Amino acid sequence: MADTSTDRLDRHALVMAIWTPSAFVAAILAHTGIASEAAPEVARAWIAAAFAAVILAFVGHVIVNTVLKTGFTAGETALGLVAFATALLTLLLTVLTGSDDLVQRIFLPVGVGLMALVVAVIAYLVIRHGPRGAFEKFDVIRDNNLRPASRLPHRGGRR
Amino acid sequence: MTPLLFSLLLLLTLYAVYFAARIARLDAPAAEFLDGGGRLPGWAAMFILPGLAIAGLGLEQHLWRVSTFGLSASHIAVGFVLFAVAALLIWNRLWYVTRIAGLATPGEALGRFYGSIALRVIILALTLLFALPFSANLLSFAAQLLEQASNGSVPRIAWVWLLAISLAVPAIIGGWRAAILVLAMHAVLLALLLPGSTILAEILIAGPGFPAQPIPVAEGVLADRIPGVVQYVGGIGKKVLPVGIFSAVAIGSSILALLGILFSPASLYLGQTVRAGATLGVSSVWLTGGLAGGVLVLGAPLLATRMADGPMALAETLYAAAPLAGAALVLMLVIATLFAVSFFVTGGVLIFTRELIIAYLLPDLSHRAQRFSARVALGFTFFFVALLASFFPLLSAVTASVALPLAVQMLPAFLGLGFLRWISRGAILAGMTLGMLIVVFTEPLGLIVFEALFVELPWGRWPLTIHSAAWGLTFNLLIVLLSAVVTLNAPDRFERDRLHDSLLAATRVEIGGRGLFWSLMLVWGFLAYGPGAVLGNTFFSDPIFSPVAAALGIPSLWVWQILFWLFGVVLVWWLAYRVGFGNLSETHIEPIELGQAPPRRSPDWLAAGLARVAGNKRR
Repeated sequence: MADTSTDRLDRHALVMAIWTPSAFVAAILAHTGIASEAAPEVARAWIAAAFAAVILAFVGHVIVNTVLKTGFTAGETALGLVAFATALLTLLLTVLTGSDDLVQRIFLPVGVGLMALVVAVIAYLVIRHGPRGAFEKFDVIRDNNLRPASRLPHRGGRR
Repeated sequence: MTPLLFSLLLLLTLYAVYFAARIARLDAPAAEFLDGGGRLPGWAAMFILPGLAIAGLGLEQHLWRVSTFGLSASHIAVGFVLFAVAALLIWNRLWYVTRIAGLATPGEALGRFYGSIALRVIILALTLLFALPFSANLLSFAAQLLEQASNGSVPRIAWVWLLAISLAVPAIIGGWRAAILVLAMHAVLLALLLPGSTILAEILIAGPGFPAQPIPVAEGVLADRIPGVVQYVGGIGKKVLPVGIFSAVAIGSSILALLGILFSPASLYLGQTVRAGATLGVSSVWLTGGLAGGVLVLGAPLLATRMADGPMALAETLYAAAPLAGAALVLMLVIATLFAVSFFVTGGVLIFTRELIIAYLLPDLSHRAQRFSARVALGFTFFFVALLASFFPLLSAVTASVALPLAVQMLPAFLGLGFLRWISRGAILAGMTLGMLIVVFTEPLGLIVFEALFVELPWGRWPLTIHSAAWGLTFNLLIVLLSAVVTLNAPDRFERDRLHDSLLAATRVEIGGRGLFWSLMLVWGFLAYGPGAVLGNTFFSDPIFSPVAAALGIPSLWVWQILFWLFGVVLVWWLAYRVGFGNLSETHIEPIELGQAPPRRSPDWLAAGLARVAGNKRR
């Protein structure tokens, strides 16, 4: 589908039109959960809702890819990984340097939320590529040590 | 809240500039600046259509009306279903007309089909009305909102110019495609923030809201009932009954006025420049009739109850509990207005450039020069819009009040273009003239001028609480039908027949012979927003078939609205998918040349005038 530069830009705009509002809504929910002085259970609900917004945006992105017959671009994958790593690092730094109260309020919901994101990505990969195909996406060692036998169909059929 | 709001608006501007710059750097032909090559992505129009419906309603105004007049005002949101039906019918046929006969703008489509320069001029006048006073009024309102949000630290006029610049720069850089791609994101943001703000307000603000607590209307106003079918009063400014103005006919006619946004030239132009696909069905059924209609029917009473002291009071309360939530509420109201400003100014200028500058004034312009002229026109128009919004807000408001009802008077012309081949040019022009005159004299524009110059009129705005759009359209249609009877075999009938035959061959969809569908539409319309809507006042609380009163816990009228909104979505689905109006396909299109193509040259008097200004000898 995205075969011309205009088509690629249209797809990019669509992806951004999904992610920008979702990210803003997620930020509102997360900020409400983290900054509010409500009980920890309430804060957890807000943060869970924020991660739900992110996962819904991811689902929307996958739908776009399916409808337009495209996949995640290298830039999108890199941006996703960087955002995830930053969030993980921020959580770890907060655990190390933040107050006990803050850590108690956010560690569990944010940690579970980040894990949910990983699960969502794995689920997508398994659905899209199948279990073997999903594993092969990360099978760097095998890629770096290609042997003739690995090309055989019954050994995985690597071309 | 000021720095936060300022940052959010800055981010939105950067987003727009980013996409405008990306589009400007594409190796696309310069002419695409004006129309996106007629291949705008369907998903963008899909998101924009519900945004347009909300813009036509005026989000903040709607919430104010609901908090002032109660559920009867909220009933207008059921009309999103009718808006979706009209969008399906008009956008579908106009898109095919554009592809079949190569008629690229709304003015060209009507002008060539009916063989009338007057219709092209009327479309241009409407374009100007939406691009200048209508947009200026909205811009002024957005700036006023931001002034309140910043506690006056940034004055209204400063906000007007900041907003105008932030909208102008992306439009000038990227043209039609950039505007549409950015507005699509704004529409998605609006779709998320509207239910999001409602839910946040319900959770974060203490105390019961709607329906546990009724909408806090003024004493005497019926908060949860429609005050009768019609009110025999002179209209707003003369006399209005204290029970509220939204009688059943006021609701129905206001919904009719809402269609004006669909008949605005920029909206029609969007429908013409979108690429083929099935997104029109998704947009009208699920996003406009379903999502936008549902969010307003369900959410507006809740939000309006919380907004009894005004939107800023609610925003401040939310800001105290969660700063981003408070800023998001203001942002939502601002975006709902800026969305319309950007859309109507950019679309209007591009139509104006094509219809006037390229078609008549400077027909020999190269594509690059056309793009340049459009950019200059965009810059000037945004400047004038900001000027009007800054220094003439009242004039803009009064003039803007006629924009939607005047646009509705185009309905017979588009019915003739798309469906009813027996409607002739003379009928259209006669009906439109009378309809537009009636609109002007049932709105403040005509009333103020006439009463200042001559005598006091016995009626005010919206006599009998019937919106000016409905007054105008009633007489318009009457004249059209009577005139069409005597012009059935007018000389231009042959060309109209040719286009309609081609339309049928291309769409393979006939509007006639759908007796059950149209019968259900009529019954639904009568009960949903016609005189039958008053049955909803007590239908579920005091059922007529039982002596026992039901204890629903929510107003009967609200249940009625929800029910008929859901029925309405089913009807839109039927029209889009079963009848087939939701799909646009180029497969069976056979292009034709409609009538005699007008010569691409300036009229002599214009060429002479231009030559004098430029100091050149006349060619």
